[in-house]
Amino acid sequence: MGTAALHADHHDHHGDHQHHKESFISKYVFSMDHKMISKQFLITGIIMGVIGMGMSMLFRLQLAWPDEQFGILEMLLGKWAVDGKLDPNFYMGLVTIHGTIMVFYVLTAGLSGTFSNLLIPLQVGARDMASPFMNMLSYWFFLASSIVLLSSVFIETGPASGGWTVYPPLSALEKAMPGSGLGMTLWLSAIALFIISSLLGGINYISTVLNMRTKGMSMNRMPLTIWAFFFTAILGVLSFPVLLGAALFLIFDRSFGTSFYLSDIYLEGVGALENIGGSPVLYQHLFWFLGHPEVYIILMPALGITSEVISTNARKPIFGYTAMIISLMGISFLSFIVWGHHMFITGMNPFLGSVFMILTLIIAVPSAVKAFNYLTTLWKGNLRFTPAMLFSIGLVSFFISGGLTGIYLGNAAMDIQLHDSYFVVAHFHLVMGSAAIFGMFAGIYHWFPRMYGRMMNKPLGYFHFWFTFVAAYLVFFPMHFMGLAGVPRRYYQFTLVKEFEVWMDVNVLITVAALVGGFAQLFFLFNFFYSIFKGKKSVQNPWQSNSLEWSAPVERIHGNWPGAIPEVYRGPYEYSRPDREEDFFPQYIADDNSPEVLVPEGETVVPAAKDPEEVESSVFFAAIKRVFGLS
Amino acid sequence: MRVDTLRVCINSLSKRLVAMFAFLLSPLFLLAAADVVAPPKEFSPLNWDWISILICLLIVLIILVIARAFDIGSLTEKITGKTVVSWNNVNAYAAMVFLVLGLIGVWYELVYHGKYLKLDHSASEHGSTLDSMFFWTFGFTFFVFIVTEILLFYFMYRYRYNEKRKALYYYHNNKLEVIWTIVPSIVLTFLVLRGFTTWSKITSDIPKDSQEIEVFAYQFGWKARYGGDDKMLGNSNFNFISGSNPLGVAEDGAVVELIKELEGEVSKIKLKQATAADSIKVWKAGYDRMVATGLDRTYPEDFKAVKERYNDAVSGGYERQLKKDLKRKNTALKRIGEYQKDKDFFDGSAKDDRVTTEIVLVKGKPYIFKFRARDVIHSAYMPDFRVQMNCVPGMPTQFAFTPVITTAEAREFKNNAEFDYYLFCNKICGAAHYNMKIKVTVVSSEAEYNTWLATQAPFVAPPAAEVPVAPAAADSSSIVKKGTVAIK
Repeated sequence: MGTAALHADHHDHHGDHQHHKESFISKYVFSMDHKMISKQFLITGIIMGVIGMGMSMLFRLQLAWPDEQFGILEMLLGKWAVDGKLDPNFYMGLVTIHGTIMVFYVLTAGLSGTFSNLLIPLQVGARDMASPFMNMLSYWFFLASSIVLLSSVFIETGPASGGWTVYPPLSALEKAMPGSGLGMTLWLSAIALFIISSLLGGINYISTVLNMRTKGMSMNRMPLTIWAFFFTAILGVLSFPVLLGAALFLIFDRSFGTSFYLSDIYLEGVGALENIGGSPVLYQHLFWFLGHPEVYIILMPALGITSEVISTNARKPIFGYTAMIISLMGISFLSFIVWGHHMFITGMNPFLGSVFMILTLIIAVPSAVKAFNYLTTLWKGNLRFTPAMLFSIGLVSFFISGGLTGIYLGNAAMDIQLHDSYFVVAHFHLVMGSAAIFGMFAGIYHWFPRMYGRMMNKPLGYFHFWFTFVAAYLVFFPMHFMGLAGVPRRYYQFTLVKEFEVWMDVNVLITVAALVGGFAQLFFLFNFFYSIFKGKKSVQNPWQSNSLEWSAPVERIHGNWPGAIPEVYRGPYEYSRPDREEDFFPQYIADDNSPEVLVPEGETVVPAAKDPEEVESSVFFAAIKRVFGLS
Repeated sequence: MRVDTLRVCINSLSKRLVAMFAFLLSPLFLLAAADVVAPPKEFSPLNWDWISILICLLIVLIILVIARAFDIGSLTEKITGKTVVSWNNVNAYAAMVFLVLGLIGVWYELVYHGKYLKLDHSASEHGSTLDSMFFWTFGFTFFVFIVTEILLFYFMYRYRYNEKRKALYYYHNNKLEVIWTIVPSIVLTFLVLRGFTTWSKITSDIPKDSQEIEVFAYQFGWKARYGGDDKMLGNSNFNFISGSNPLGVAEDGAVVELIKELEGEVSKIKLKQATAADSIKVWKAGYDRMVATGLDRTYPEDFKAVKERYNDAVSGGYERQLKKDLKRKNTALKRIGEYQKDKDFFDGSAKDDRVTTEIVLVKGKPYIFKFRARDVIHSAYMPDFRVQMNCVPGMPTQFAFTPVITTAEAREFKNNAEFDYYLFCNKICGAAHYNMKIKVTVVSSEAEYNTWLATQAPFVAPPAAEVPVAPAAADSSSIVKKGTVAIK
């Protein structure tokens, strides 16, 4: 095999440099090692996540107690919260930047950037990415973009505040709101940089997956993580340029007097009188052509991570490996032709609305297949509840409860009532926000030993999970009911409309849950940063996993494997094979006596339906049972 | 030996724990002491915040301590070889607890918050079909939700790790996979078909005799325009918008006035341009004088303004701005002139149009709302009527519906004598987005509606002798007097 030979050469060359000391700059700052770049993405993503989440907690305070004055707001925000009362313009700014940070900076770059970088070379068996230099650029563009975006919070007129979708004319006309001035310019610059970063990364991921797999790693032996990252990268490469185009037109409209999105506008006497002939709806088409695939760019890596983590910790092959790939493929394809469901009531031709409705509801089928396959994977498994496993199961729960409400919203007729209401907020925060962030947490807990050679503390991980999981449901579940009752989203306060007053107690509940959930992240932050330095040393394969990344030594060396790259002999999910004594069978271990896939003969492989007798292995539970007379 | 080691270990660790607790609790003691020594005179938000933050931090730290205690547990495990806490089981049981509490929570939400939804009381005709579709969808999704979530958490409990057991090697089953591809497809087909027919009916089946009402959105409010006596809405264009004609209605008198206004402004700008050199000189002199007399330090604020104006003038910004303004006014004049040539555009049907600050509808009568927006995208949202449509500048949109419940009836079944229907803005549009609404009243008879309409002044007031203007209309009729009402 050509690639294998190439790798062997690479290895020899590499051996010479193994003990070569790298400078601090080349190792930690301008690193071209995919593992270091993934850590850079992760830590930047975590910092952005903390900021984004903190912003949501600030505006939740406003929503729950609109008449209260909060000293902390004035302390943090200064003139944006005089006397501890949040300014309406800055409220919009917070909502906008919260959305932008979470969607792009945490769940796209933080999730996909981290784990694609870490896992693609390690799981397909490559020394590094196809182009380590482009990979490095990808991170630095991302960092520059983050800095530009954050800087917009500190300027006189405030950050962009037209919602994360920044629809023109609101975002195009400086006179429409203060945030549409310099803040919007910075937002657009940040997004342009972000798109560059995303494209540099995406091209790299695709070429690495296609060209640099080790010997024996055929496409149908790739872990589902890699499949998910692969499709994600394709979606990104195809759709992000369209957003760049949309942003470019918007920049032109704002600064150079064109009228792509503007027409018939009268604002403050003259406003944009010169601009005629454009269409604001054009922007929405262009934006959602990215915006909808973007949802899957966020979600699919999380689903991939979940597949891997659930299979490993259920000690069971993932159910329906091929079906999982086909459904990923189906979701990827369909995600490009459903963008119109964000625009049913924008005045788009109603017939077009019906077409988009049909396509949108088709996407529910592959999603349902995925959910059922996860459930079947858990069925008759032997579940080890590592924190990563809990977060993966949490993802499945969110994916179901948030995905089902998509059936309401994808229906054009029902969308008339639900569009832009809290129902939408509940829907996407569950299915895309919470689910994806749980996927990210699962990934962090699962591959932390791979990244840092140490283990994270388990009990803290459990506390983190249960607090976050319960808080997320408490925050987002009641929002469905607000939305059904017609409470609009992005309202600064609800006290001015009498009818919304009944929801004040719900708003308080949501805010309290959000605060608890927010502070619960301290478990994670402490655990993460503490374990980097002081965590228990990890063994090479701490979760007894099958995939290739655990064949690399705990010391994370440049080039990943000290000797030749291991070969791959079978798929990644051969857990609990009846013909093996151990309950796992790594991809990289050769055994001529075992066939690649064990074909189950009828029902014979089903072990005795009865479980072995339960022996209480825990002193704690034994004591409790004795106290309550249960044993 | 072993036991001794254990004792020593636990001793040292428990000392550390006590120290940690004392350290963590000390801020609370201090706060309590401060409270006793100097009780706060009044409620101070700053203090309250700090205390709550401290309490939150404290809770977190206490949990850290508990986690530490579990570490001791694991240490004990290591030394004695006995499992103190099986985390795997803890999580499995926690899953069951979560499942039970979660189901109770769902039930509570349905009962407690479900009652606010008013899903059986759509105030419009098409709304009830939407509501019935909602119930079908709800029935299907709720069933799937409950079943899958129960299975998920039950599996967590049922199949928790047991080292004596081996998981089932089960990677694939075509029959099963086909079933759960086909069944959702069938259900979705049913939902899609229903959605498709309902959507087409709502958007395309518009009764011929629907009355047109223009709903006009601007930052931050709404106006409605009724066709008046001839029930015809006159044309309109954004170029005609002025202080006295906020909707830009195509009416000869108003437009002629606007042209006059614009021409006046043009000549003013031209005058300013002609005297620009002198103005700059005056400003420079003022600036120099302030610097020379030291006034710049005495009145820094004033000086800042003077300096800015001076700098602007010197750099040519002042003249550029004048030029720009002039160009704008001339463009506007030119466009208005072109429209004026089109006599069909000014067909006179706008004269009796009524621009109102409230929407009044008659029960059972079909309406078609024609939406326009002045500045940015807004969205007309009437949740009680199941109506929503974006208002897009430069692109007219519409929504047709028939109200079926009057305001009085709604007040009755809602048991709320002050209830009113509203049309909200539901597309982010600026700082006061949250307060952008217009009252919608549904009356039971045409007569009531006519009485109301008579109080609304027509766009061009007919000779006073013919139509007596009701006193109540004094406010809204002011729009006919030029320049008195400008939308903010």
